[in-house]
Amino acid sequence: MLLFIPTLIGLTVIVFTLLHIGGTTKLLAMYLSPRLTGAARAHVIAELDAKFHLNQPVYVQYFYWLIQILEGNWGITNTPLYSGPVTQAIEIFFPNTLILTIFAAIIIWLVSIPLGVHTAVNRDKPSDNTIRVASLTFYAMPWYLIGVVLIIIFAVYFRVLPIAGTVNPSLVSGLPWYHNGISYPTHILLIDALLHGDFGVAWNAFLHLIMPSVTLSLGVMAALIRLMRGTMLETMDQDFVNFARAKGVPEKVVINLHAKNNALLPVVTNFGYLVAGLLGGVVVIEDVFSYPGIGMWLTSAMLNNDMGGIMGGTLLFGLILVTTSLFLDILYAKIDPRIRY
Amino acid sequence: MSAQKTAKEARYRELKLSMEVFFSNKSAVAGLIIFLFYFFDAIILQFFPQVMPFKHPYSLTPNYVNPIPLPPSKKFPFGTTYPGVNLLTAIIKSIRLDFWLSLAVVVPGAFLGVIIGIVATYFGGLVDEVLMRITDIVFSIPYLVLAIAIGYVLGRTLNSMMIALILVWWPLYARYARSITLEVKEITFIEAARAAGSSKMKIMFRHILPNSLPPVFVQMSLDLGTIMLAISALAFIGFLPAANLPELGYLTSLGYNYVETAPWAMIIPGMFIVLFALAVNLMGDGFRDVIDPRRRSAL
Repeated sequence: MLLFIPTLIGLTVIVFTLLHIGGTTKLLAMYLSPRLTGAARAHVIAELDAKFHLNQPVYVQYFYWLIQILEGNWGITNTPLYSGPVTQAIEIFFPNTLILTIFAAIIIWLVSIPLGVHTAVNRDKPSDNTIRVASLTFYAMPWYLIGVVLIIIFAVYFRVLPIAGTVNPSLVSGLPWYHNGISYPTHILLIDALLHGDFGVAWNAFLHLIMPSVTLSLGVMAALIRLMRGTMLETMDQDFVNFARAKGVPEKVVINLHAKNNALLPVVTNFGYLVAGLLGGVVVIEDVFSYPGIGMWLTSAMLNNDMGGIMGGTLLFGLILVTTSLFLDILYAKIDPRIRY
Repeated sequence: MSAQKTAKEARYRELKLSMEVFFSNKSAVAGLIIFLFYFFDAIILQFFPQVMPFKHPYSLTPNYVNPIPLPPSKKFPFGTTYPGVNLLTAIIKSIRLDFWLSLAVVVPGAFLGVIIGIVATYFGGLVDEVLMRITDIVFSIPYLVLAIAIGYVLGRTLNSMMIALILVWWPLYARYARSITLEVKEITFIEAARAAGSSKMKIMFRHILPNSLPPVFVQMSLDLGTIMLAISALAFIGFLPAANLPELGYLTSLGYNYVETAPWAMIIPGMFIVLFALAVNLMGDGFRDVIDPRRRSAL
């Protein structure tokens, strides 16, 4: 838990270093609005110079930059998707990414744990081999290809799911709580529609969420099924499981109560990697499905050489991962009494 | 003389046993065969491009006369993709770049990581703590995102993609080498070497390093596939601005706008990425069996 602070500092140092490798112009690019010209531009540059103390040594500048970051001044992003302060872009795009990753995490949890247990219990039987081959194939597939295959099957061939976006635009045009692709108050269309009692829009938003979240979960699931199978096989060999069996506990209870709960511990520790996988996948998958979240914003920032978007996204993803691993450490200590900090 | 001979024979027997273990695993052999196809493709196009009937072996040849993707036919066995690129030849050309690029990421990444991992365990204490914290920090950013950020700073080119992926990948090997080194350190022969008066440096690089390399090699063969997936994902989202670059991810992205009418334009190049990633995974599993003492004694 004490490692939380140094990791956080290291994260900001990495982002700051990346900002400064190209000299101060890169930092200015992050904070300077590209629309300014002439005297106004020179004035803002002088202002930024004073604010970030650009005439001081680099390690001094770091602290001034850190103060700005802590105060919520994350710079300016200018992409076709959104143009304005980075913090505002995050406020708009992050809720979409959040609901997507939550959906994916739920699917992963609901599917991979039972499948992992099933494959371990039915070791080397046909169902085990099928699931293993399938999960290995998904593991070896690039994220975007999974998405494209799903698009071809469900959107092109069967025409049951929408190809891209968050909602059918004709449904939301003229709604008082929806402007310029942003819904209010939570910015998550599905939840906003439910809050306003508009179930048609909510259903449509839900349909738009299915394919991206299934794609995201299929990519991450394989690793988790493999891990669950491995730990489950290990646990099933242990003495306390044999003892439970010898005691006459029914096999179902042995598997689901004695073995499964103990096999879950290493899976929970690896949940951090799962979140990392989800956040990495978001970058590609949101792009495939034109889903306006942090990932798509990041890609569009990359394509437009937009410093603010890239560094803002990097810092945000880093912060999310570091905080998640902190919470996981605490959770792990709670569920495993052998660990105390 | 005879002692030398028996040592040679023992080595030969070990090698034979290794081959037997590997070839008893059918899927690993299949993986090896597919891998060799990619390998020879890469070798031939890199060093003997003249044996292939290509005018431009290192770039895609678009045909703007007929840019719309055509379905597979006798003339184009895999069909064509936008803008009129013959997929068969494009894939043959792309495999070269992808193969060497993933090798160019995995080998330096593993080298750097293993050295740092061993140095961390060798010095221990503060050095170990600091190096492991650095790996923690690199792990705290999703690798695609970090690669994008590094790519922005270095300029989005093929070389900077390689450097970005190496910078993202070494911590994995540092962690891995560290855990293996800690394990090997506890084996009795290390104690014997220490009792015989070997220096710490000699123990590290003469005794521990060779014994920790086999698992690292297995990891490297598995990672070849993962790196190719990462490269193709980066190319797909447009990391490489150069047009006509024969790269499987870029080739896949060419067909993206035609996914409704020409699914083959994405599926076929994509399949070649999957095939490679699958092959190196199966092959890596086979190598893992080879170095697993339990599997060795079972045969």
